Amino acid sequence: MPTKTRPVEKFARATAQCSVQAAAYGKCVVTDYNSVHKDMCAKEFMKLKDCVLAASKKG
Amino acid sequence: MIPIHTFRATVPRRCFAASASIRTYASQTPGNPMLEVFNRKTKRLQKERAAQNVEESRKVDYLKDEVARRLCERLLDIKREFPNVLDLGANSCNIARALTTPDLDLAAPEGQSTPPLAERISKLTCVDTSRALLYRDEEMPFNKEINIHRELIPDLETLPYQPNTFDAVLSSLSIHWINDLPALLNQVNTMLKPDAPFIAAMFGGDTLYELRGSLQLADMERRGGVSPHVSPLADVKDVGSLLNRAGFKMLTVDVEDIVVEFPDTFALMQDLQAMGESNAILHREAGPLSREVLLANEAIYRSLHMEEGAPGIPATFRLIYMIGWKEDKNQPQPLERGSGEMNLSELLGGGDFQKP
Repeated sequence: MPTKTRPVEKFARATAQCSVQAAAYGKCVVTDYNSVHKDMCAKEFMKLKDCVLAASKKG
Repeated sequence: MIPIHTFRATVPRRCFAASASIRTYASQTPGNPMLEVFNRKTKRLQKERAAQNVEESRKVDYLKDEVARRLCERLLDIKREFPNVLDLGANSCNIARALTTPDLDLAAPEGQSTPPLAERISKLTCVDTSRALLYRDEEMPFNKEINIHRELIPDLETLPYQPNTFDAVLSSLSIHWINDLPALLNQVNTMLKPDAPFIAAMFGGDTLYELRGSLQLADMERRGGVSPHVSPLADVKDVGSLLNRAGFKMLTVDVEDIVVEFPDTFALMQDLQAMGESNAILHREAGPLSREVLLANEAIYRSLHMEEGAPGIPATFRLIYMIGWKEDKNQPQPLERGSGEMNLSELLGGGDFQKP
């Protein structure tokens, strides 16, 4: 099989580089997981998203 | 004499309604109404697509092979010849592979080899709905060690077999996709010869509970609502009564958890897809999960389920194994209650809790 990286693999690699932001976002959701609502952790998520976007541009 | 139903059919319904317009709010669905949960076409396509990538598909057979082996270990306890066996929902014939494996018996004394179970089986019929998956390993050497027949059927829920055909029906990791499990079990019971076993393994209740939960949280936080991303599964406590209802006797149901470690949730979902085990619920959302939800899910899964210092994330697969026997009059029956003549504590030498 030719070694063609699937988009999801690239995405996974980029996500792996943002473990600090991911942990912050995860912690924010999990601390109060009985009353999760939309955009509860929007700030943390945006940080995570920016980090992943930057990482995927690099790699 | 006119049978009652023909008589009733000739009575015009109108006579019950005063006006000409009939309100039809309580109409009866013709035939046997059935609750549809899974989209069968989607499921077949998922399996078909997954198996077309042969290399990937073989790589993710670890779970199905393991479960097939454990299922066949249960067959070791039945000291019989099986002339005609059915593998219901065979996937890539993982059961056939397990049956041809020698030394399956882990309890056998060391150094003593046990022959493969295939020697006791004269004919194995493997049925499934996906051609690509069923015929994937047709050229592999294990096919020569067992008399195997592959049969492609359009639908696993209606089986084209005569009553009293099989000496055993095996099924590994397939019947959790069946919509009408009671009807299927009824059919299996009819197809079996009297005093023949049905041995099956399926995913149950808490399978992938980690993924189910974290996807729900991710959906809630990102989009403000939930959509089912993990298909529902039968519970352990239902399986016994299901078998009972289908007329099986001497039931055995047991549960096993297999925890698989994955590097991340993306790898877990890719593997599920390659297995052909992705969500196939009828009213699922069209299109793939959005990247935002995937990203949120990865972060939430990790903070909920990853253990400190562990290299990967755990995913639990709960297997329900069931054995039921078709009724036969010469079958051993349980004795009537109260008919025991010996005190078990005398026999086993157990003591009272209050004894010093």
